[in-house]
Amino acid sequence: MDDLIKLVRTYRVTAGLAERLRLAEAIFHLIAPDLRAFVFNAIVPQAAEDVSQEVLISITASLKTFEGSSNGEFWKWCYKIARRRIYDHIKKRDSDRLQPMPHEELLDLLDASEQAEPLTAADRHDLEYALNLLDSSKPECRGYLWNHYVIGFDYGEIAEEQNLNYDNVRMKIGRCLEEAKSLVA
Amino acid sequence: MPNQNTDAEAALQKLGHRVRLGWAKKHPIPDKSLESVKNTVREQWEQEQAVSRISKPAPSPTKDRQPKPPEPDIER
Repeated sequence: MDDLIKLVRTYRVTAGLAERLRLAEAIFHLIAPDLRAFVFNAIVPQAAEDVSQEVLISITASLKTFEGSSNGEFWKWCYKIARRRIYDHIKKRDSDRLQPMPHEELLDLLDASEQAEPLTAADRHDLEYALNLLDSSKPECRGYLWNHYVIGFDYGEIAEEQNLNYDNVRMKIGRCLEEAKSLVA
Repeated sequence: MPNQNTDAEAALQKLGHRVRLGWAKKHPIPDKSLESVKNTVREQWEQEQAVSRISKPAPSPTKDRQPKPPEPDIER
């Protein structure tokens, strides 16, 4: 598989249009599935298609300004752009926020994920544990755990979105996790 | 139990990874999505070309002129 960061670094120094198009397409195929799924798990499908497109275009338009040097840094940068776009959309249309997925839908997606990457026994054990943690949580806590751990919003982003301060969110999520663990144990 | 918190966090993060994988399998990317991205690349490239054309100094109108030959000495 092409090394993502190599493609990005080459794109940054490439002047010719044909080569840039080839590199942009290769980068697109590596990042689009994850980023689209990320957006579609945060907002309703009717809006998610447009927002995920905005995310991919923003990333492409900003590739020349990315200054990192590793795959991890690049992914972090991509998700930061995606979260910002999602957050901007939710600020305009709160009704488009997606609630944590029902248990059956989650199981359906986990089955589908096996086609991409087989599940080991340890994976199944961990996923069952994660589902139990979510299922045993109160709705407010389920929302926090979902947004922070499953979707990947950081404390600052959740705090900004909910008009709370950073430490307040960090403590709430910590308490929610403790509570869920005690109920599952 | 020092690892319990980490295990719970890791399990939830693994769930997020699996949800994204499963979702990507069930919802293939539409062709127009890649086309929009390519259009962005083209537009950006065209803008860069336009900027580089503007920033190149225009050829001086006197550039191609031959230097004037020295004026001949006029003997009086």
